[in-house]
Amino acid sequence: MLQEWRLRHGLMTSLLMGVVTVAALSFASLGVSLSVRLQAGVLWLAVLFGMFPALARGFISEEELGTADLLRLGARPSCVFWGKWLFHLTLYIVLSAVLVPLYMLMIAPLAGAWWAWLVLWGLGGVGLVTVLTLCGALVAGTASRGALLAVVTFPLLLPMVLMLIAATEQILQARPMWQSLQGILGYGLTLSAGAAWIFEKIWRE
Amino acid sequence: MRYTRRVRWVLECDTLGKRFGVRWVFRGLSLRAETGNVVVVQGGNGSGKSTLLRIVAGLTAPTEGRVILRYGAQAVATRMDYLGWCATDGALYRELTAYEHLAWWATVRGGTPSREALLEWLARFELAERAHERVRAFSTGMRQRLRLALATWGQPPLLLLDEPDAGMDSSGLALLERVLYEQRTFGLALFATNRAEHARWGDLVLEMGA
Repeated sequence: MLQEWRLRHGLMTSLLMGVVTVAALSFASLGVSLSVRLQAGVLWLAVLFGMFPALARGFISEEELGTADLLRLGARPSCVFWGKWLFHLTLYIVLSAVLVPLYMLMIAPLAGAWWAWLVLWGLGGVGLVTVLTLCGALVAGTASRGALLAVVTFPLLLPMVLMLIAATEQILQARPMWQSLQGILGYGLTLSAGAAWIFEKIWRE
Repeated sequence: MRYTRRVRWVLECDTLGKRFGVRWVFRGLSLRAETGNVVVVQGGNGSGKSTLLRIVAGLTAPTEGRVILRYGAQAVATRMDYLGWCATDGALYRELTAYEHLAWWATVRGGTPSREALLEWLARFELAERAHERVRAFSTGMRQRLRLALATWGQPPLLLLDEPDAGMDSSGLALLERVLYEQRTFGLALFATNRAEHARWGDLVLEMGA
């Protein structure tokens, strides 16, 4: 975390990607009224675009820099996994603090109950961060990690993103969203438990 | 595991082999070393010195054979907890200082050493004066000293050194010789080197690719 903070370019790249996405979509939709579903999609698209550069800043950069061996020798696999998870979660919180106000300013205000947004943002963050941390860990040790990253991430990420968009749409329309939240929570918990277990198996060859 | 210095540590490599694709780097390698031994691993480039040390460390799985570290008659379950590792290509965090590296390493190894203890340890490796400089400003030799400082922290019973003499000046080499000498009193070491004159630092020589 300290290394990333001092380097800063990982954080800056993430912020830049997220801000540019919101700004570009705002410009493209100037004068057009976006449907609620589109608004929900744009919101999560901006967050995802901001999070993607972080995929390479976690396990993959440790492998490429050669520092992964230090971690393997020194720390328990579970500590490494949850440490990286925490790093991604911190980035998610920073990104949210910047992107959400920007989205409200440039795209559309976030209508609906504030507590519903808070729950969605919390669960969505845990889910997204778990998927991205797991995918980074799965491909970091492989030779063709670039190509594999897309192949592994897409099927794991898509259900979570679709559920987040559905829940966001429901909040915006003031419809009950418990079913979507249950789905997000269930998927997030399953992935979290599975990810920690899988990581224990793959981290030390 | 709590241990005393009266019980001996024993490293056993039993018919080890490693294959990358269709090429065997080495095969049928057996080795036994115990407390007091420094095994010098020699051989040309690509002979498998680094691969052997990575296998012993548990960082790479052997294709065949097994590695056992024993404390007396008892085999330890997690070798990684009992070894120190220093490799020339072993990366350090460029934006962290030498002190931060050692503090982090000491913490993940389960200790809570004082600031004085950490600085004292860095001083042994002539790094105390630059303890708070970031590693990116370090020369090759200084980075190597830091790797050695990390590897020997806590006096691990098994010390694995992969070409630690590369890029070292004369005082660095003297330091390395002292590290190997001291290691004999509480454990054993595997020391891979390309420099034939450093074979005298060990008491067993393993010639790879022979």
